[in-house]
Amino acid sequence: MRAWRYFLYILIAIILLTLPFYTGVYLLNVIDIILIYLALALSWDMLLRSGQISFGMAGLFGVGGYTAVLLHLNAGVNPLFSIILGGLAAGVLAWVIGMAVLQLRGMYFAIVTLALAEIFRVIVRNLPDLTGGPEGTVLPSAIFSGNSTRTYWLVLAVAVVSVMASEIFRRTRIHFALTSIRNDEVVAKSSGIDVFKYLVFIFMVTSAIQGMIGGAYAHIYGFVSPEGSFSVDFTLLPIAMALLGGMHSTWGPVVGALVLGIVSEFLKLKIPYGHLLVYGLIIVIAILFFPQGIVGTLGQRFKRTGKV
Amino acid sequence: MAVLETENLSRNFGGLAALNHVSIEFRKNEILGILGPNGAGKTTLINVIAGIYLPTEGRILFHGQDISELPAHQRCRLGIARTFQLVRPLPGLTLLENVMVGSLFGKGLGQKEARRRAAQLCEFLGLSGVTRDITRMTVLEIKKMEIARALATQPKLLFLDEVMAGLNSDETREMIDLVKKIHSRGITIGIVEHVMRVIRELTDRVVVLDWGEFLAAGPYEEVSNDPRVITAYLGEEA
Repeated sequence: MRAWRYFLYILIAIILLTLPFYTGVYLLNVIDIILIYLALALSWDMLLRSGQISFGMAGLFGVGGYTAVLLHLNAGVNPLFSIILGGLAAGVLAWVIGMAVLQLRGMYFAIVTLALAEIFRVIVRNLPDLTGGPEGTVLPSAIFSGNSTRTYWLVLAVAVVSVMASEIFRRTRIHFALTSIRNDEVVAKSSGIDVFKYLVFIFMVTSAIQGMIGGAYAHIYGFVSPEGSFSVDFTLLPIAMALLGGMHSTWGPVVGALVLGIVSEFLKLKIPYGHLLVYGLIIVIAILFFPQGIVGTLGQRFKRTGKV
Repeated sequence: MAVLETENLSRNFGGLAALNHVSIEFRKNEILGILGPNGAGKTTLINVIAGIYLPTEGRILFHGQDISELPAHQRCRLGIARTFQLVRPLPGLTLLENVMVGSLFGKGLGQKEARRRAAQLCEFLGLSGVTRDITRMTVLEIKKMEIARALATQPKLLFLDEVMAGLNSDETREMIDLVKKIHSRGITIGIVEHVMRVIRELTDRVVVLDWGEFLAAGPYEEVSNDPRVITAYLGEEA
């Protein structure tokens, strides 16, 4: 049983790594985008496991992107390393913000994060000497000179980091802390959990991941701009994916990202611009009829019939 | 020797003094009953001692150390644990995992050791089927789980807030025996209870609160004949 499992993992790993050799460039680009949203959806879900909803993903994504691009351009930092630094910058920023606002909970915290994304965009827009202002900054060349195979590997690495972080969160004591905090803070602190410390920690880690994804994204497309890098898409689409796939798990956001990513790409071809309407409909139907998401609903069904 | 003392402990909610200059002590290895009519401030007393609310005035001394300003999780780690009047299970975690929360964070154990200890405590309390979903358990089982979760933090002082409420007479009997078993492990217990035969059987001493104020303290037989206590419960004679 166990051997089969490892065999399966290795098979999946091989397929993922060699994907560029039997898909075209177009398909590879679509997969890149799906993986980027997949990683964002996971990082959003990881914070949600503590009961906190963030609408500030685009803000940290953009901060990571700008940091990576500007460090590469102005300080000559290696692009890959600058992506990591972009993540670190977003993490440090989230730590500072978290210390200040994580006394807030639920909707109040959500509103603050929503404002954050906007504030960064305004700041970036108004520092033309550093950031290029409203026009943004264009890199002389995209990462790996635009080589789609290596770009795909980079995106894959980013997605794997997110999946691993999510699994670590699910398998260690962090899982117990976050689940307790989400369900009942009074029980959590009465059982010895430092609620504030855990919330700051999880906000920092998920923000660092979002910053790293933003850094990779900026290098792949070779530019950053206030409207592009802080686009509300980077907040709303991952949330929709996590909700559709199922919250509080690793597989939920992954499945949600794959399903919505593929569906929206398909719809884009069939009904240009109309795809957003269908996209919205799918999300509404999913939330109304499968509030547990795809993975949650299937999981329950299997449990009921006794098959695992 | 006192495990915990409160000195002039007060807590106001707006204009309401839920606790008003209450000075009591919990002596080592005793079971102290906390009595009083509804709204007397019994649960508020537990909440202030456990750190859910900070006191408006006064001090709390735990083994002589002033803990009045400490956050709740630190008080838990020092050895103050409690259950809740209305049960508060954590859905999304199994029975065993609910108990593990106490040993992981209150005691600071690693996951493997925390799991072993939680399993021991479940057995001690007569809880079976530890991998069950917590939302599909009886009131008695959830109450036991809460006690297990509190014990998993390895407390020196344990508050039981109406653990008998909602139990039938057989279950109450079982719970009384459990409290005795817990007490025999050397844990000081503060118990809030409305069932007087439980108080009579279990407690070494009782304190009585009324409208947030200290009314009386002493052995149950003595205090229950105190005219002030009778008045607080039954009202003035017409």
